[in-house]
Amino acid sequence: MGFPVEKKQGFSVVVLNGDVDLSRSPDARRAIMKSLKKMHNVLVDMSAVDYIDSSGVASLVEGFQYARSNSLEFGLTGVSEAAMNVLRLARLDQVFPIYASLDERLATGA
Amino acid sequence: MLGVWKTRARTRMHNRLLMEDAFTAHGIRPSDLPAPPKDAIRVVQACSRSDTGSRDLAAIVANDPVLTAELLRVANSAFFGLASQVRSVARAVTVLGDRALRNLVLCIAMRDALRAESIPGFDIDAFWEDALLRAVAARSLAAPSGLDADECFTVGLLQDFGLLVMFYLQPQHVGEWERLRRSEPDARRELEQALFQTTHDEVGLALATSWGLPEDLATAMGHHHRSNAAQSAPQDALLCRLALCADWMAAVYRCEDKRGTIQRTRRVLHEHFATTDDDCDQLLKQVTESLSEAASAMGMRISLPVDFEQVLREANLRLVEDNLSYQELTWRLEQALLERDHIAAELQKELQLAREVQKSLLPATRSRGIAGLNLSARAVSGDFYDYFALADGRIVFCLADVSGKGMQAALLMAKTASLFRCLGKGVSDPGKLLAMLNREIFETSVRGMFVTMQAGVFDPRRGQVLLSSAGHPPALHMIGTASVSAFPAQAPPLGINPDTAFPNETVELRGGCLYLYTDGLLEARVGEQRLQGDGLADLLRRHSHLPPDARARAIAGAVVDNSGGVEDDLTLLIIEDERPHV
Repeated sequence: MGFPVEKKQGFSVVVLNGDVDLSRSPDARRAIMKSLKKMHNVLVDMSAVDYIDSSGVASLVEGFQYARSNSLEFGLTGVSEAAMNVLRLARLDQVFPIYASLDERLATGA
Repeated sequence: MLGVWKTRARTRMHNRLLMEDAFTAHGIRPSDLPAPPKDAIRVVQACSRSDTGSRDLAAIVANDPVLTAELLRVANSAFFGLASQVRSVARAVTVLGDRALRNLVLCIAMRDALRAESIPGFDIDAFWEDALLRAVAARSLAAPSGLDADECFTVGLLQDFGLLVMFYLQPQHVGEWERLRRSEPDARRELEQALFQTTHDEVGLALATSWGLPEDLATAMGHHHRSNAAQSAPQDALLCRLALCADWMAAVYRCEDKRGTIQRTRRVLHEHFATTDDDCDQLLKQVTESLSEAASAMGMRISLPVDFEQVLREANLRLVEDNLSYQELTWRLEQALLERDHIAAELQKELQLAREVQKSLLPATRSRGIAGLNLSARAVSGDFYDYFALADGRIVFCLADVSGKGMQAALLMAKTASLFRCLGKGVSDPGKLLAMLNREIFETSVRGMFVTMQAGVFDPRRGQVLLSSAGHPPALHMIGTASVSAFPAQAPPLGINPDTAFPNETVELRGGCLYLYTDGLLEARVGEQRLQGDGLADLLRRHSHLPPDARARAIAGAVVDNSGGVEDDLTLLIIEDERPHV
């Protein structure tokens, strides 16, 4: 099952949900990379993520690295507590731009 | 009788409506059609009228000397087999009777209605050869259908005349003729539709109606492929069914797919005339036996001698070929399965080698105060640990976990382990070492893969550890059964950002232990429960009385399942302050 991608104010918003593990991280990667390769700025809505493992985090890292080398924006929004614990423990909160909510990022404009 | 007449009248009207449809639908104007053989048609029409006496009829025939000569020649041929030779038209009219005369005149007139030069590039002899096959096939069906043999022959000969007219009207398709004649009847009709936007039966009906050909013949020409032929008079419907069967029988000798066509012909004949397969084969054989005689009678050429036995042999050969290809298919499948097993075995061997190479990356020699353990969930692991002693007695160590699983994780693990071994001997500052590894891994990282890693230098003489962590789960410091403190990562994993700084922390062991582990241990199950932080601390406490090596084994023993496996790669490194009297 793929992850939905929505268009909002010039961003492609990839909505992750449930477990983003070895079986589903290829879908997450596909959704993120497809939007970035169209040269869209990408926000990943992680409010409904119950669990994320290192392969899921790798999908985010790949998106982050691709965006950086192509001068695109890549950020995470509304990261759930479960996902935030993983990111914090690995100090990835220092790496990704993280916004409390999608609206928070959209409110500041492009 | 009145009923038959009414049905005929209805059929005539139906045929005329269909003809008009054909003209409007395909833009065919009656004036586009070839000119009818007027004298012959006058004869045919006279034959159908009850008020025409035999003398009048003879006079009408005699009016066309070419037709007369040909009529006498054909009538006297062995194929039509008159009891005695006829030498005059008057005699022919008497001996043959109206119906046979009508049929003969029709055959001759239609044969000559379109000359080869009317359709440039078209092999008209080949068309009439095929028509003759149908005529002879139709004649062979006289007995099972209970119809007159000459009547059957005439219908068979003329049933596909529409095709000739189609090429006359659209000669640009002449190149497709061979393809058409090699196709079985249904496929041929579909092909006609695709090429001409109409079919030979539609055009045949339009022509027969326009020329005023007898109604029974027009119906057979126009309806032999239609399922609604039953609407016609019973006799005409029977002619339509006969024509369809004749079409299939002739196809046996013309189509590429002999086997399929023979099978289909047997079915069609059985359906319409309740014949058995043997009956059908016998009828097909008859066709070949009387074909040359018919050709000679009609003054037509046949290019190939046809022999049903030979056709059967071809069909059977095809059957053998099909069987052979089935056997070959089975053989290929077996070979493919063998190859798959072989490749799987090779792959297994390769994985085993990869596993051995990975194991060789783990420390081979034991050092006092340090013990490690690595269990992999798959053939190869994305986790590793390593340590080696420096000349001054300090021990450089690391423990790492590559994101993802499988071969790609194992390859990155091998690279990271080699870099650690290589660079670690010259750089004893763990933070600096991680920064170097980070840049190296970042340069070649693919698909966002990263490595969480703890690196450190353990000084056994001072019971001190200098530790740096790149996004790795916290190291735990314990003294006896008491948890003292956790050392979470101060920097993100390796391979993400080339400019990351990795701070060092100093851990004073104070007679205690430092535990480094991968998340495979945190999430390992003991019974139904996953360990997580508290469970891990409890497990470590429970075995704290054992020396490091034995403790590592005991911890592993607690988390493996019944078959000795683990869900995720799992790695543990224990660093113990073994100084006496601390």
